[in-house]
Amino acid sequence: MKIATATSKGFDRKRTAIFLLDHIIEICLILLVIGLTLTANRFMTWANWTNILRANALKGVIAFGMTMVIISGLIDLSIGSTVGLSGVIVAVACRDLTARGMNLTVACLLSMAVCLLMAVFIGWLHGVFQEKTRMPAFIVTLTSRYALLGLAGILSGGFPIANQFPEWYNNLGGGRIGGANGIPIAAVILLLCFFAIWFIMEYTTTGRATYAVGGNPESARLSGIDVGKTKIIAFIAVQIMSVISGFMTSGQVMSGTFTFGNGWELDVIAAVVVGGTSFDGGVGKVWGTLIGVIFTGVISNGMTLLNIDVHTQYVVKAMIVFLAVLLSSYRARVKA
Amino acid sequence: MEALTIRAEHITKDYPGTRALDDVNLTFDGGKVHAVVGKNGSGKSTLLKILAGAVIPTEGSLFLNEEKLHLRSTSDAYEQGICSVYQEMSLVPGMTVAENIFLGRLPTKNQIIHWPEVVERSKALLKKMKSDINPQELVSRLSMWQMQVVEITKALSLNAKVIMLDEPTSALAQNEVENLFEAIKALRSQGVIVIYVSHKLQELPKIADTVTVLRDGQLIGTKNMKELSQKDIIEMMFGEVKVKERPSDLKIQNEIVMEVKGLTREGKYTNINFSLNRGEVLGIAGMLGSGRTELLRGIFGAEPFEQGEVIIGKAVFRSTNPVKMVRAGIGLTPEDRKTEGLILIQSIRDNLCYASMHITANGWIENKEMRNAFAEKQVKELDIVISHLDATCNSLSGGNQQKVVVGNWLNTSPKIMLYDEPSRGIDVNAKQQIFDIIWQQARKGVSSIFVSTELEELLEVCHRILIMRKGRIVDEVYPEKIKVSELYEICMGG
Repeated sequence: MKIATATSKGFDRKRTAIFLLDHIIEICLILLVIGLTLTANRFMTWANWTNILRANALKGVIAFGMTMVIISGLIDLSIGSTVGLSGVIVAVACRDLTARGMNLTVACLLSMAVCLLMAVFIGWLHGVFQEKTRMPAFIVTLTSRYALLGLAGILSGGFPIANQFPEWYNNLGGGRIGGANGIPIAAVILLLCFFAIWFIMEYTTTGRATYAVGGNPESARLSGIDVGKTKIIAFIAVQIMSVISGFMTSGQVMSGTFTFGNGWELDVIAAVVVGGTSFDGGVGKVWGTLIGVIFTGVISNGMTLLNIDVHTQYVVKAMIVFLAVLLSSYRARVKA
Repeated sequence: MEALTIRAEHITKDYPGTRALDDVNLTFDGGKVHAVVGKNGSGKSTLLKILAGAVIPTEGSLFLNEEKLHLRSTSDAYEQGICSVYQEMSLVPGMTVAENIFLGRLPTKNQIIHWPEVVERSKALLKKMKSDINPQELVSRLSMWQMQVVEITKALSLNAKVIMLDEPTSALAQNEVENLFEAIKALRSQGVIVIYVSHKLQELPKIADTVTVLRDGQLIGTKNMKELSQKDIIEMMFGEVKVKERPSDLKIQNEIVMEVKGLTREGKYTNINFSLNRGEVLGIAGMLGSGRTELLRGIFGAEPFEQGEVIIGKAVFRSTNPVKMVRAGIGLTPEDRKTEGLILIQSIRDNLCYASMHITANGWIENKEMRNAFAEKQVKELDIVISHLDATCNSLSGGNQQKVVVGNWLNTSPKIMLYDEPSRGIDVNAKQQIFDIIWQQARKGVSSIFVSTELEELLEVCHRILIMRKGRIVDEVYPEKIKVSELYEICMGG
């Protein structure tokens, strides 16, 4: 291989700069953790950490799917409505099917399967619609955001449907492995979802195609990549993650409520962006999103522990998102 | 109005490795249409850009009415009254003709836009251009030539002294060309210096007063249109060219790998028939808009054709798409490598491995070692100069980017390669390397179709050349038996 002759010093400096920029979020997280350990005495405890993971798992799982969608150059604003809708569907099914004599667990599992199928269908619909009509994904998913929210409201009659789930359902969002101080199941689900999407993006042709489609759809198409299929898969992935989040959310409070998840889309997008994924598509890492989820979780946990009020927390959040985007556009320039 | 002149003195422009213009001296007078012609790379576009202030000459100066010009930017040129009308319009489609003409300087009365005056003044200006375009029509509703007239009118309203028209007729139908010429003649009668660039030599007798020919950065001469025949112009453009010879060991094998039968796409190409042999390098020549690029993209499936079929081996394709054609063993290096060939923000490794993704993966799971090996192989074989496989493609020079595009395809072990303008925007050295790659592949039995605007290239690289005109194949020639100027004449047609 021919290596361009650059002064070795300048060359190294650039690579070092790229390495630091690529891992800036990890570095910030480590510094943040050290800082909070020194200032907030309840921070560095098992209970607090499992709590951070459990609390952030609900939006976190969606963030992995959203990473895929954003890398492919798209966006999905409907995820919050899917969260609410899937909780409502399971609750209604548990209530109505058992009334007709079905076993509660069977009814619950059956409706969960229906929700997953629904996720595939919604994702497929988004993909096909976006590809055929060339409408921006923003608009396509904005319309289904309202439609799905409305559907959930109609199904539930506008009220929370409480205490219909089987007892084990609570474990999805609120359970722990190994007693009250054990590992939260939500955290385990978070990591499983991370591994699934991370594996797809790092080790499969689907992942490679997703990067290509987001980087330049025309070049991808002319390289023989099926752009439509790739978009559909990304849309399906984020919808499946939202349904899983919907199970966890409704399980945590044992109620199917149609407004659950409402407005989450922007929090999820913020976590993805903080994790270094470019909003222009084609660039990003699922690992970064995991760090982004933990980072945003740790910072709000830390601020709560330090008795910083909620409104100030919003301002801090704003600054973090802003800096993250600034950094990623700077990084793109350094790499060029 | 006093008589206008614009004069260029000893204009030289050097780019790294090449001299685009070499000591060019010329004078253009007002009230005349001055045609500037030359083949690709002759320096005519550099000359235009220098006049428009977009390029600063290495040496030499410009004088407008004996006053020396210091053009640092296009807005400098604009202020001096030198305006360019490009193919890409600078009009706002959602506004009316009148608004566009007075954009940024709408007449006001008591701080409020005085609409009646806007319309009146526009009407007067358009009348001067002998045009009956309604000033209150939306620009988006106008046809191409009308937009050009509006743009010229706008320039005129800014007291333009020099108006440059770059290939204004390339997208126009015949009757529209006549309309535009009427407008240009009206413009000429205002005493303006009109500089007219076109590759359509047939049009020149109808519109031009003088013809200036450039070749390889040199001014060959300026003559009155009346003294010249089309043949004279072509001879001035090409001179005595020595076409480089293709290596002698490139043998066409007696086996048809692809047949194209009756391929048609409405408005782009009609009833295209040809066959391609194993190891053959087939050229397609034709003017801009002759349908060559569209034909390549049709065969590859980038844009669908409507009738006909493509036969590869035993497989008959009545419709094509890139996914299918990649698997059938075809590759296409698109005309514009930056927007269609590469993913600039991603790594060289990824860009070398996209088309071959179905080969380097075990089903759904990627084989990273194999990907690496594929990428490294192309870097080595095509001699791509890179700092690191992880560097992004926008860090590469044009020639190296083009090699990455080619390498992406060679990794698929294609049977047929379609090259659309592979040498555009890359230096002479890289060009020769690309040709070597094409020949090297031909030795291995890969067949190629090579599209280029540069006719010398086609004569150098190809075994056989098809000539397209207005979407049809009109002739088939062999490089050994034809001169560049003859080829050019056939491409242009009568």
